[in-house]
Amino acid sequence: MLASDAITNREDAATRPPTGFKAWTRRLVPVASDAGLKSAHFRKPGIAVWLLAPQLLILLFFFFIPSWKALSLAFVQVDPFGGTVLFVGLDNFTRLFASASYRSSAVLTFWFTIIQNVATLSIAGLLAFATDQVIRGRFVYKSVILLPYAIAPVISGVLWAFLFNPTVGPMAQFLHSLGLPWDPNRRPFDAQVLITVAAVWKHVCYDYIFMVAALLAVPQSLIEAAALDGARPVRRFFTVSLPIIAPTIFFLVVMNFTYGLFDTFAIIDAVTKGGPGGATNTLVYKVYQDGFVLLDLGSSAAQSIILMALAIVFTILQFRAIERKVNYQV
Amino acid sequence: MKILSKRAFKACAGGVAISLMTLQLGGTAFAQDKVSVEWWHAMSGRLGEIVDQLIADFNESQDQYEIVGVNKGSYAETFAAMIAAYRVGQHPTLVQATERSFLTMLYSDAVVPVGELMEQQGYEIDWDDFVGPVADFYIVDETPAALPFNSSTAILWYNVDHFRAAGFDKPAETWQELETQLYALKEQGVTDCSMALAGDFIWSMVEGYSAINDYPYATKANGYGGLDTEYIFNTTPVVGQVERMKKWVDDDVLQIAGQGLSPTQLYTSGDCSTYIASTASHAAVESGAEFDWGATFMPHEEDVAEPKNSNIGGAALWVLKGKSDEEQAAAAAFLDFIAKPETQAWWSGETGYVPVTNAAYELMQSQGFFDEHPTREIAILQLTRGEPTENSRGFRFGNSDQTFAVMNEELQAVWTGQKSVQEALDASVSRGNEILRAYETLHAGK
Repeated sequence: MLASDAITNREDAATRPPTGFKAWTRRLVPVASDAGLKSAHFRKPGIAVWLLAPQLLILLFFFFIPSWKALSLAFVQVDPFGGTVLFVGLDNFTRLFASASYRSSAVLTFWFTIIQNVATLSIAGLLAFATDQVIRGRFVYKSVILLPYAIAPVISGVLWAFLFNPTVGPMAQFLHSLGLPWDPNRRPFDAQVLITVAAVWKHVCYDYIFMVAALLAVPQSLIEAAALDGARPVRRFFTVSLPIIAPTIFFLVVMNFTYGLFDTFAIIDAVTKGGPGGATNTLVYKVYQDGFVLLDLGSSAAQSIILMALAIVFTILQFRAIERKVNYQV
Repeated sequence: MKILSKRAFKACAGGVAISLMTLQLGGTAFAQDKVSVEWWHAMSGRLGEIVDQLIADFNESQDQYEIVGVNKGSYAETFAAMIAAYRVGQHPTLVQATERSFLTMLYSDAVVPVGELMEQQGYEIDWDDFVGPVADFYIVDETPAALPFNSSTAILWYNVDHFRAAGFDKPAETWQELETQLYALKEQGVTDCSMALAGDFIWSMVEGYSAINDYPYATKANGYGGLDTEYIFNTTPVVGQVERMKKWVDDDVLQIAGQGLSPTQLYTSGDCSTYIASTASHAAVESGAEFDWGATFMPHEEDVAEPKNSNIGGAALWVLKGKSDEEQAAAAAFLDFIAKPETQAWWSGETGYVPVTNAAYELMQSQGFFDEHPTREIAILQLTRGEPTENSRGFRFGNSDQTFAVMNEELQAVWTGQKSVQEALDASVSRGNEILRAYETLHAGK
């Protein structure tokens, strides 16, 4: 009874000529869609607008306004106090592309995100695969792997910096005893290895959760059938499980790239501060350094624009290239 | 006169209001009557505790104003926080900014020159009494732009036990002889670390080196002659100095402290025999070093007969624009308190920073402070040594913090072997000059 009342009421309201605010909100939705399939769910566009409002507000404050600020700063040279503003056109961009340090930062970021991505996925995949094989203490096993996710990035950065500090770090002393000249403060490669390891360690648990969940969703009957056909666990993983969890892996690849590009900031800040000699100065860290440490706001804004464009293009390409090869029907 | 009578009126009105309130509320609303202003500073650790004491002393010394000290991290972090706040009008009244950002602050159009402020608020400060190099740095067109607060200079710290064990009385006076000593310390097995390299080594080992040995650092009298100055330190003996440092790094004589490890700790723990750092390290060394420590003047080149004064470091207090008259009055009262010889002497004695006025210096001398703590006098003697030249009087470069960061990055590439010393210094100069030109374009005509 109640439900049908509600429906009739709604239809009444919809047939009445819209006035005031309702008319305004109605205009936001194309009239042509009234007859379409989607409009059937929102006869009263007001509700749609209200439902969208929180998300739109968040986008407004955390995406559109900052993007607009960055855009407006990217084409000017500005005194950090905001006193003098000089329009310089594309000068900030040409300066960036001409700068050797920006190019080396781009190359570093490229390799860093790729290696980080592959390493995180393989380790998480291995651990998730192993979870199925662990019989005793599975809970402990899972908890231990999930722990790093609960640690703040800065804290984990400080821990890694300490463990591998060439003078006091126990891990560094172990490496020295093997005869390796480990010193991330002086050897750029060591510093790059250190931030990659720290970034992977921090993110493995994220990928692990998704991988475990995806593996659980693989129908047991398929696995058993493969087992009856004589496939060993590793074979079963690659021929049965892997194709089925491919959508999850695709999702994780995108998430890992986003993580590597943007979220490794805190780790780099705590472990190397972009050094030595700019060897670990990734694109996002450079935005911070040029903008907030060096107060070159124009260049920093130009870099964020490039980074934003990169992220957009990259995501589109990824979806286009990989979507076709991924089977979404589980 | 007008200002004085207004102040008198305020004091009267305040007094009446206070007495009324004490009658009615038993004095509970007392604190609300005070004008409260914020001071953002970069003093942490032991120095932070001393600053808190200084603020507490000021707040107790009178009942009109209240200073609220906020530690915003390092100098760079404080500066960045202040700029972010200024752009949205949430800035503090007082801010501590390092000597390196002097020109950036001066032409920022965001500050009230301290000299003008003190005059407006009816305070008389004898600016002629400030010690030479400090005054010469902060006073522009006879008006002090900021109040020198914590001024310092780099000195050479050493481990007396180590030197004695290697058969030396004390560190040598020239870089050449010091080098022999540092290698001897290492070869005799006294230490694995003959010298620790401070994070701000460019300030002492490159800029300070140029000042003491009277080498030009940039054209136009190191920036004093105009904004069209250009760096030229890649053509002076600075190249040799950095090459020497590179050799020491390669031979493990000079230790670079990296992330997570402070060079001060390398010295105070007794690991490293020498350490070139600010005289302000006194606060940390005196409380932390459990060995016979000593300090002396910075070394100079052997062919330089009369070394000049060294460059100043540390920071000054700036008053930001856009604050009410009351808040400015509070800031002025605080600055007046800080400039007093007694406060100066106390601050210098607690921290190791140099006394910035002659009155404070004389007061400390008369108290016999330097007889008890002879290393405390090194900095001021070194700062006032000889007649300053264009090369030694100071550095005035726009956005000097940026160049400092660029040089740090370039010189790190020298230690890692990615670049030769000459390549890194050439790159520092060309990148530094770009920064200077960008600053000049933005501030043309100032």
